[in-house]
Amino acid sequence: MREQVLDILTEIRGDVDFENETKLIDDDILASLDIVAIVGEFNDEFDVEISVEDLVPENFNSVDAMVELITKAQE
Amino acid sequence: MAFTSFNFLIFALITVCVYYATPKGWKWLALLVASYAFYLLSSPKTFVFILLTTIVTFFGGKGIGKINAEHKAYLDANKTNLSKDEKKALKVETQKRKKKIVAVTLIFDFGILAILKYFRVYIETLGFGDTFNLGILIPLGISFYTFQSAAYIMDIYRSKIEPDKNLAKFALFTAFFPQIIQGPISRYDQLAHQLYANHKLSYVNLQRGAQLMMWGFFKKLIVADRIAIPCSQIFDNYHDYHGGIIFMGMLFYTIQIYADFSGGIDIARGVARCMGITMTHNFRRPYFSVSLSEFWNRWHISLSHWCRDYIFYSIAMSKFFGKLGKNLRSVLGDRVGKLFPVIVAQFATFLTIGIWHGAEFKYIAYGLYNGIVIVSGLLLEPYIEKLQDKLHIDVQSKWWKGFSIIRTFFIVLFGRIFPKATSFTAAIAMLVSMFKPMGFGAFYDTLMDLGINGVDYIILIVACVIWFIISLNEELEGKVYGQLARKPRGVRWAVYLLALAAIMIFGIYGPGYDASAFIYRGF
Repeated sequence: MREQVLDILTEIRGDVDFENETKLIDDDILASLDIVAIVGEFNDEFDVEISVEDLVPENFNSVDAMVELITKAQE
Repeated sequence: MAFTSFNFLIFALITVCVYYATPKGWKWLALLVASYAFYLLSSPKTFVFILLTTIVTFFGGKGIGKINAEHKAYLDANKTNLSKDEKKALKVETQKRKKKIVAVTLIFDFGILAILKYFRVYIETLGFGDTFNLGILIPLGISFYTFQSAAYIMDIYRSKIEPDKNLAKFALFTAFFPQIIQGPISRYDQLAHQLYANHKLSYVNLQRGAQLMMWGFFKKLIVADRIAIPCSQIFDNYHDYHGGIIFMGMLFYTIQIYADFSGGIDIARGVARCMGITMTHNFRRPYFSVSLSEFWNRWHISLSHWCRDYIFYSIAMSKFFGKLGKNLRSVLGDRVGKLFPVIVAQFATFLTIGIWHGAEFKYIAYGLYNGIVIVSGLLLEPYIEKLQDKLHIDVQSKWWKGFSIIRTFFIVLFGRIFPKATSFTAAIAMLVSMFKPMGFGAFYDTLMDLGINGVDYIILIVACVIWFIISLNEELEGKVYGQLARKPRGVRWAVYLLALAAIMIFGIYGPGYDASAFIYRGF
């Protein structure tokens, strides 16, 4: 799943080093438009329902946090 | 009671002393008493409205919190028995119950705001001002405490925070006096625990708070209140001016609003910091933005983020607009169809930002202007990228970044004409007359006849250059405060005393040493 998530993120923002960044939201690396695009792709790709309630910085600061969010949404 | 009045300084000083003299466990109560005293001294006739919003929001939050707790307890008790579909159905049912309370609370809170701030403007515009004269003033800080209360309700609805258990403590969160004049719009999870804590007297907090206040006074009294004079002269008598003078009016206002608003926020944050409370940032050097989207992420951050979290995301991620966008793909094309929810969300966000400033059409035009520029950039993105490739422009280069900063500054500057002009038609008339040619001699003579003299212009230029250098340093190196703190004590105190002397000598003081009112106080 991690690889798939990385592919989606790189497709949306090719200029970001997603492997190493751990403050994607806190450091304003990802903008609100990116978040909407990322969530839309996650919902389609992994058949989950990530909603507005899940949009907290902790869930999008790193690839691992996003993987954890998707895993939780699948449960 | 304006931040720059002598009365406010005395009030803040007494509050800080009382705060530290109050025994542990009761400090929050001292802050509540001070905050309500401030409100009663500043806006006594409208005190009842902040009370009403506080009480309704508190009990609304409690109701939603109770449903959240019941839902969680049921899920914990039946973890193994429930299927995925049953959990989903339960979530939908719980959300329905919560939505009812959210709707009632928000309609009440925003209803008061709509009637007191907006309804009056519309009935006056329609010519029924005398018939429906409510005889009520706009409550101090109504937009700020209403938006703050709405965020509190939405955050409980989204299970991000637990509701407050104590009405009096929640009343402090709503009415905390440094933020009531012009924000920032604080979030409960960021501010409340700091308000309720027992902060010990600390030299660092007092020093940092005093520095912030002094920096705020510098911007407000030396820059904002001085540049306000020629700025108002041009905007209030725009028929008498044209050409470069109209442009100067826009430039003056772009500087004035930033100096005034960020100066006020620094004073508010400084007072809070003296008591160990760190309020959220509202500005991050906005005029260094490379795009209008970035500008709104650096300007009035607490309002922009409020709109992002509760309007933009709610629309851009809603199933309704998502489906509508999918259906429209056959008509609008794949890309635009996909972007459709985002475009609707952007316009809704900027309309809210426009309406936040006031009910008149000029404010709506201001919101639309920002929305149109940002959405156009979004829609034209692939074509712009192609053009940049063709012209071999390196978008990562320093030159391009510099050009983008200047371009964004001018986009912001032209947009500012809408909220500042006396009306929408006045704004259009000013934009048209700006292109009427004007000789340098006439330009110079007019500039010197706008209410301030050559010395004032020199003071303004020097102050703005100091401000620019400090901002540039912060942009490139990080916080100036940290750099100053590492300097020897003698250097530090020389800087403080020089700044204090500059404020006292070069500050613009009105009758009774009361500076002109803050622009954002009106919102």
